[in-house]
Amino acid sequence: MAPKPPQGHFNILYFASAGSYTSKNVEALPAPLPLRKLFSTLEERYQGIRASVLEHSMVTVNLAYADVPDEEGPEDKDEIVIQEGDEVAIIPPVSSG
Amino acid sequence: MEEDTRDRPIPSGTAASTPAAQNGCSRQLTDDEVDRYSRQMIVPGMGKEGQLRLINSRVLIIGAGGLGCPAAQYIAGAGIGTVGIVDGDVVETSNLHRQVGHATSRIGMKKVESLITHLRGLNPLPSYIPYPTHLTPQNAAEIISQYDLIMDCTDNPATRYLISDMCVLLGKPLVSAASIQKSGQLIVLNCPPTPQGLVDGNYAPCYRCCFRKPPPPSSMVSCGEAGIMGPVVGMMGVAQAGEAIKILASALHIPPRPLADDDATPERNLRQPTLLIYTYDLESAVGPYSFRALRMGGRRRNCFACGEGSTLTLEGVQAGSPNYEQFCSMPTSRASLPQEERITAAAYHAAKERGELSEHILLDTREKEHFSFGSIEGAVNVPFGKVLMKAAAIMRDGGSGRDILPVEAGDRDAPIFVVCRTGLDSQETVEKLKELGLDDGGKRKIVDIAGGMRAWKQDVDPSFPFI
Repeated sequence: MAPKPPQGHFNILYFASAGSYTSKNVEALPAPLPLRKLFSTLEERYQGIRASVLEHSMVTVNLAYADVPDEEGPEDKDEIVIQEGDEVAIIPPVSSG
Repeated sequence: MEEDTRDRPIPSGTAASTPAAQNGCSRQLTDDEVDRYSRQMIVPGMGKEGQLRLINSRVLIIGAGGLGCPAAQYIAGAGIGTVGIVDGDVVETSNLHRQVGHATSRIGMKKVESLITHLRGLNPLPSYIPYPTHLTPQNAAEIISQYDLIMDCTDNPATRYLISDMCVLLGKPLVSAASIQKSGQLIVLNCPPTPQGLVDGNYAPCYRCCFRKPPPPSSMVSCGEAGIMGPVVGMMGVAQAGEAIKILASALHIPPRPLADDDATPERNLRQPTLLIYTYDLESAVGPYSFRALRMGGRRRNCFACGEGSTLTLEGVQAGSPNYEQFCSMPTSRASLPQEERITAAAYHAAKERGELSEHILLDTREKEHFSFGSIEGAVNVPFGKVLMKAAAIMRDGGSGRDILPVEAGDRDAPIFVVCRTGLDSQETVEKLKELGLDDGGKRKIVDIAGGMRAWKQDVDPSFPFI
């Protein structure tokens, strides 16, 4: 299993091409983080990852599918905020076989 | 190709549409069938009824490769009555480490013929229907409409979207798997099928509900380029067969009545299916191997294929709309470099032989595994992923663009030549190096070797071990 994230952090898992792009399978990022800010946070760390990987990937929070709201879109009070200790995963489609 | 009917009459229409298939009591099992299927029939929940449902079912396996071979073995072994297999390729030596339904003696044979040969040896009872062709928007409806359940064992995004769209339009459940290098994915889609456009309720998603947009072609690598471990793709294919058998034996693909009665039968709840991810990576922080089950959402209201107001139709697909090839090869930043920033493999070689090339740096951006099989003399290896990562780090944190070059390249101002496997990554590398200012405002030459090591093998050194 992934190591427990340090205090004030969440784990993010990078599958398939997300792993190749970041050269990591997992890392800890500071929490809390509104889900709508996830892509821009990652783009800051890995320039180009949004267009190459994130925009067509599926995102899960604590093993369940999550819709990432448009960063510029209207705020919604029920919006997901990633909390300390959460597990987020970036899952790009794989199409080979 | 004649359909092999053997002794069994082919059910008219789809089995799912006949009451016999639903309650599984169309006939008695033969002695051979009892003998052959006894070990699975005595499993709780399966029974004679489940077996008869399998015998009355028609399954289409699209792709007779790394997923399709193991999947087909268990589909045939379990006694699915009719097994259709679609694949236009022929068996190659490099397939055999994972495509276990083929054989060294059948290299060069159409994959569907080879696989059916293998399956007949395993179980002669089912009818096997070969389709030695690629699935296309033109032939897809005719083929897929003949079956009760579809298995996507293909290897490219365009076909994946086509299959999913056809399953939505024709109301077929889809068991989809994919695998690359050391990981795989599996998901059951469109099960039970619900009419296109229904969104007020809890309905199963299609492939597009999960993956709205294909990734840019630059990030899509094939097993031929990225590699694939046999047991990983094998595991996914076997799991795929497991899901198909479970669905058909329990008639999970037939909507319960009344339709709204969702929660009374939790085992039917494939409306929020699970995406299974298998990773098998010694270096992974999530363990040397792991399975993760991720709960997906249901049908997306705005899904292009199955959502509200969808304009997708069978006629449209047949006529070329949407254009799957175009959708999956969207314009990207992979612009072709102008001629003066490129050199052919032959010209590079000739110049070097004639001693016209002064001191220069030759960067090879292939993965280190590819590089280890051979390289052009003097090349230094910086895998493309590292180039991108280092470039991003330099742009973010500042620092010298020179840091991207390996130490072996030294602190020289010599011209840089970039070579990769087939000539795409090398162009992007040239652009990145220029963005980082390594061309010194145009004073320093940075060019790519057009066509990469493939061109090198073709035009310069036929003995080069290109893989």
